[in-house]
Amino acid sequence: MRRWFQALAIGVGLATAFASGANAQNPSSLDRILKEKKLRVTAEVTAPPFGMIDAKGQPDGSEVATARQLAKDLGVDVDFIQVTGPQRIPTLLSGRADIAISSLSMTIDRAKVVMFASPHGALSIVIAAPASVDIKDAKGMSGKRIGITRATLEEATVPKIAPPDARIVLFDDIAATIQALLSGQVDAAGFSAFTSKSVADRNPDKKLEDKFTVTTAYYAAALRPGDHDLLHFVNTWVALRTRDGTLGQIYEKYTGVKLVPLPPL
Amino acid sequence: MRYVFQFGVVADHWPALVAGALATLRLSLLAMAFGLAIAILCAFLRRGAPRPIALAVATYVEIIRNTPLLVQLFIIYFSLPGLGIRLEAEEAAVLGLSLNLGGYATEILRAGLDAIPKGQIEAGRALGLTRLQIFRLIMLFPALRIVYPALASQFVILLLGSSIVSAISAPELTGVTNTLQSTTFRAFEFYFVATGLYLLMAIAVRLALDGIQWLVFVRGRAW
Repeated sequence: MRRWFQALAIGVGLATAFASGANAQNPSSLDRILKEKKLRVTAEVTAPPFGMIDAKGQPDGSEVATARQLAKDLGVDVDFIQVTGPQRIPTLLSGRADIAISSLSMTIDRAKVVMFASPHGALSIVIAAPASVDIKDAKGMSGKRIGITRATLEEATVPKIAPPDARIVLFDDIAATIQALLSGQVDAAGFSAFTSKSVADRNPDKKLEDKFTVTTAYYAAALRPGDHDLLHFVNTWVALRTRDGTLGQIYEKYTGVKLVPLPPL
Repeated sequence: MRYVFQFGVVADHWPALVAGALATLRLSLLAMAFGLAIAILCAFLRRGAPRPIALAVATYVEIIRNTPLLVQLFIIYFSLPGLGIRLEAEEAAVLGLSLNLGGYATEILRAGLDAIPKGQIEAGRALGLTRLQIFRLIMLFPALRIVYPALASQFVILLLGSSIVSAISAPELTGVTNTLQSTTFRAFEFYFVATGLYLLMAIAVRLALDGIQWLVFVRGRAW
């Protein structure tokens, strides 16, 4: 009899712990961030100009600067979680980061698992290759090796338009894809236009050029499903900071290009 | 934070995962074979060859054992093309894994060779055998028997360490898992299943190695 009561007590105790644990984990992120005075943001530092490491070894780039601006406006400190491309969304979903500001292009598949805020930037994906490689459009990729980084917009779009005999070679981060293109391990590679330009500028002897544009997209901050308070704050913040030009300035400083008019979400 | 597990997504992509696991096994077995061959050669050269060659082997072993496998793979895959040697990702992976295993296995085998009683070697010399014959007929087999557990462990480490070659786009289980989780956003489910597959493969390899040990070293035991 006593054993039975003990088991019941433990069971009830665990059940309440789980229930209250589940509830305790769901106070609004915004309240928790303001209370702890810390905003945890993902930083993809191998994706110039959105994220990179500056001369002092600190994260820098347009998305990093955007995150810093957001933290400043919230009045909290920012904590950067350095991630590679494929880790951006898992890091957000697992709770290690509160918000993912790492040039996540808005796609329907991603929208099924995260909540996107209003877009605050735009990018285009191009196929880049040395001048000696002859590719004029998607059909020109036939029989060639195309380097693509996992978990990026190029991974979501290029394989769909590539001819069946094109070989898609996948790498875990943009740096490896860049290396593959420069060392000749792939004939061409898919990047954002900004990355392609920065790689071409730093390696003039390779004579890299953009062969054609695959797609253009808006990118936005991403939040966990259900995190509505923080989402609404970020949407309001994006609207206000776009209107007063702050976000446009950050974008132009790092990309060298004026920010196009952004649609609200 | 509530998370809804969806293992059904993993089931949809099961064939790709199995193909990845088979690729991992293939890479590992090739690297085991080549790596062991390298180790036997290098262990012999380290003991019996003229000084410069022994020194070169020692240098190779120390470089391999004191640098990360990932860096070794990057050099083979990204840097060698600059010298005109362009290897496919799978070739680079086998080469990198074999050289890596060769370095570690050389040291393991050397310990086994050192453990051979001196009397055996002197008996061989008394019979007029050459250095190579002594190595081949008297020293190699007992040394392999002595260090077999350590070698077997190193093989399993190789199987698990083969996951690194996804960084140079060689096809294997971790690379396939990474691709699938990045397109379906089901990281937990896929990594959980991949871990299970690695566990199964490691246990299977370990059983096979134990079986080989019994067949080769115990059953027909003449030494």
